[in-house]
Amino acid sequence: MSETALDFEVEALSYMDQLYGAALRMTRNGADAEDLVQETYAKAFAAQDKFTPGTNLKAWLYRIQTNAFINTYRKKQREPKRSDAEQVEDWQLAAAAEHTSSGLASAEQEALDGLGDDEVKQALNDLPEDFRMAVYLSDVEGFAYKEIAEIMDTPVGTVMSRLHRGRKLLREKLSEYAAERGFRDKRAASKTVKEV
Amino acid sequence: MAGGDCSEALDRLFEYIDDELPQEEVQKIGAHLKSCPPCEAEHQIKEKIKALTSRTGGDKAPEDLRARVLASLRAVREDA
Repeated sequence: MSETALDFEVEALSYMDQLYGAALRMTRNGADAEDLVQETYAKAFAAQDKFTPGTNLKAWLYRIQTNAFINTYRKKQREPKRSDAEQVEDWQLAAAAEHTSSGLASAEQEALDGLGDDEVKQALNDLPEDFRMAVYLSDVEGFAYKEIAEIMDTPVGTVMSRLHRGRKLLREKLSEYAAERGFRDKRAASKTVKEV
Repeated sequence: MAGGDCSEALDRLFEYIDDELPQEEVQKIGAHLKSCPPCEAEHQIKEKIKALTSRTGGDKAPEDLRARVLASLRAVREDA
């Protein structure tokens, strides 16, 4: 086999952990995530000659996986469809940007400091699919807006809007978790005091 | 602090933290953040949430998945 083909395979296989991580965020279930990754590689190896060497192989694989997910798995899942997320009112972008008072901001920062990875994972999992994947591809995988646009097959403006809305929702959920945790901590503390 | 500067900085904060702005914009917004504590606080919160999110990565593909993928690769090679 040619050196190019071998390079392609070696590089493609090096992204398996990341593709599996993305598949977990897409399907939210380990067995489906494994099937999706396997399907992604089967499609990628079969379409190997359609890949232009020197271009972004990682983004190309993510694009294949995104399409495979849409065509195979989304149909099975009871997820709000893409259009539902898109129809959410554009209040975030329409509203004038504002900042909160410094006191509230530092309280929020402190609350965020107490959150664990599991809570953040859960909050991310609860986001609508398109928002979840935009935030995941940007913040976890470090893709540029242009690459996310390519992977999700949307204009860059849509990526930015999904990121805005997704992160806003994520922040609201994290605040809720932080508030619940603060409440639990306070209750636990008052219980300890009473017991002493 | 002129309100216009704040709303411009806040509008572009995500692009700022995602490293998606041209250098001159980065400098302009950076200078505003230095001089405006409320905008800087908002910047810190957004950075913090991005950092918290980035920590949730690092999943490892299970070994049996690796084996299945390699098997399907061998099948493609044999067909070729």
